[in-house]
Amino acid sequence: MTRRDAGTVRAVISARDVHKRYGAALAVDGVSLEVARGECVFLVGPSGCGKTTLLKLVNRLVEPDAGRIEVGGRDVREGAPHELRRRIGYAFQQVGLFPHLSVAENVGITPALLGWEPARVDARVDELLARVELAPAEFRARWPHELSGGQAQRVGLARALAAEPGILLLDEPFGALDPGTRDRLQQAFSRLRGELALTVLFVSHDMAEALLLADRIAVMDAGRVVQLGTPRELLAAPADARVAALLETPRRQSARVEQLLGARA
Amino acid sequence: MNEALAELPRLALAHLQLSLAGLGLALAVSLPLGVAAARRPRLAAAALGAASVIQTVPSLALLAIMVPLLAQIGFLPAWIALTLYAALPILRNTVAGIAGVPAALCEAARGVGMTPGQQLRRVELPLALPVIVAGVRTAAVWTVGTATLSTPVGAPSLGNLIFAGLQTRNGASVVVGCVGAALLALGLDQTIGLLERGVRERSRARSGAALALLGVACAVALGAFAWQRAAPGVAPIRIGAKPFTEQYLLGELLSAFLERETGRPSVTLQNLGSTVLFDALEKGELDAYVDYSGTLWATILGRDGTPPPRAEVLADVTGALERERGVHVAAALGFENTYALALRRDRAAALGVRRISELAPHAPSLEIAGDYEWFQRAEWRALLAAYGLAFRATRTMDPTLLYAAAAEGAVDVISAYSTDGRVAAWELVLLEDDRGAIPPYDAVVLTSRALAERAPDAVAALGRLGGAIDGASMQRMNLAVDRDGRSPREVAREFLTRRGDVRQNVKTVGEDPAF
Repeated sequence: MTRRDAGTVRAVISARDVHKRYGAALAVDGVSLEVARGECVFLVGPSGCGKTTLLKLVNRLVEPDAGRIEVGGRDVREGAPHELRRRIGYAFQQVGLFPHLSVAENVGITPALLGWEPARVDARVDELLARVELAPAEFRARWPHELSGGQAQRVGLARALAAEPGILLLDEPFGALDPGTRDRLQQAFSRLRGELALTVLFVSHDMAEALLLADRIAVMDAGRVVQLGTPRELLAAPADARVAALLETPRRQSARVEQLLGARA
Repeated sequence: MNEALAELPRLALAHLQLSLAGLGLALAVSLPLGVAAARRPRLAAAALGAASVIQTVPSLALLAIMVPLLAQIGFLPAWIALTLYAALPILRNTVAGIAGVPAALCEAARGVGMTPGQQLRRVELPLALPVIVAGVRTAAVWTVGTATLSTPVGAPSLGNLIFAGLQTRNGASVVVGCVGAALLALGLDQTIGLLERGVRERSRARSGAALALLGVACAVALGAFAWQRAAPGVAPIRIGAKPFTEQYLLGELLSAFLERETGRPSVTLQNLGSTVLFDALEKGELDAYVDYSGTLWATILGRDGTPPPRAEVLADVTGALERERGVHVAAALGFENTYALALRRDRAAALGVRRISELAPHAPSLEIAGDYEWFQRAEWRALLAAYGLAFRATRTMDPTLLYAAAAEGAVDVISAYSTDGRVAAWELVLLEDDRGAIPPYDAVVLTSRALAERAPDAVAALGRLGGAIDGASMQRMNLAVDRDGRSPREVAREFLTRRGDVRQNVKTVGEDPAF
């Protein structure tokens, strides 16, 4: 596949034989993975398979025991972790909006840390709130506790994008949302990704979400990548029973929907 | 009441200064320590453990122990003790407040690219602030309460009114002191409570108002301190007093006399213990106080055995203190206040005892109570040895309560002072020390070497008090305070007015050129 070839040549994120152990448990057991510029790679697998740990290794929220991780062709261990993180957008399921800061202050935090002019931060905040479909005039001054779950996750996504990062790390950013909100946010994400040419590493336990949004999917189990391929490749040839099991639910659901559509026609 | 109210502003200000100083230093120490400990569990365990242990020390003992540890009396030992006492709630709440910041917010702080320092300043401290302020609030209330106990270490506070009121049976003074301290505590509690609500609800108006009030309190405390420092004129002469009526009277008497004779201002530091007073005088932290020859002979000079006659003890003490300790005996006031054993008049009659030797056979069925010092004093051991006394039980009590306890029959025998007005007031009798075990107790005015250098005229003036007070006069003054509820200052000044001729008195020990 051309996309995969591009990945090996110009990887924006590259992990090589990475290991991470928590006590006796191996969270990441010799994973190698490359994400090309503009590509969206999903990490999918059951709870405890190591997908979140692998994601956090990229922005050094977790440090590896062995192996090498490069971002933009440079080893992440060169330089201070906070400088690396300011170049990488990060959003996670709990969102973690700072309760003592307004929505605007939350979104503008990384630009502020980078020393942007206040006027530029304000403009950027308004732009991003609009992009995640929150009216800036209405939401700028709100406190996080005044937001619904979906609104908070949008603000979290806006915050991750604020400092114009080329790379986005997302850890179940649309988890714990009702299906309607989740669907709208997924669409907003797809659009943003295209417009901003983002390179994305996306953790999800939802294979349906992965099939819809990913360029490639890495299926993980027990700290290893058991299969890496495009959604089409996975559906065509699951590597083993575990991958097949993960594909089972979306396959059955879509079959049922098709059946219903066919019956109506 | 009026005298207590007149003292209130000065003592309330001193109380506020001491409390805020203790609180401020506790904040300055505990906050950084708490922040450091929040990320280091072992440091947290050690720091919290140490603070908890300090907290278990009774507050009065903590204050008292600072005097020998720091080798001085006054503001510093009280300040350090209050700081140690206030440290725990601030430290505990700082650690708990930072530990209570949700993990998701710490991860978000790192994720958006904050350095550890930025994470602390921008996320952890702001979120922990309401908890930290709550700790400061607790510490403030404790500190104001504990500051009343600074009186016995020589730092003036509202405790002066309480301690002196208790000793002289002046209920109004006690009430004024207690209400003053309570109002101060309540005021600080409410103000810091307002700040706590302000930071919790992120209300700038509330926080600002509370900070403004606290700022005013600090400005008053610091301003008064600076003004006291900058005030021109000579440093006042510091006169000490032990915690009982006669000492308050003599302290006021010395103070009023010095003012009249030399025009020098003076301050009295009340409720200090015997050895604390002497140590402070020796170091020059105190300028003068009245002690008793027998106490100096037995406790300070460590002499033992059967004491020699009155004149020899006085001469021995005067010479030895001058030579060995650099302390000058300026005058012997002319009366003795000896330690004695006392019991109820009717009880003494029933047992048929008038002398201690007659008490000895009854001792195994009797309980004796003494003041804080009594059972540690050389005189007690001398009595036990000379008479073979073996009481059924011993009990230590506040001197305020001793006489009443004996009068009410709660204890059988007490240690008493021979000039104490309460002996007569409570219908007690003193037993004769027929074997001369207790040394003579001439009241003597001691002055420091520093005072002799700084104000020789003051030392000379105090010398003129030699022989000025006889035993009957002292007993009358004590009774006027203890029975009639008059203030020591008033009684002392009245005595001096009536005895305007003391300056003509020439019977002095201090002017003897031999020393």
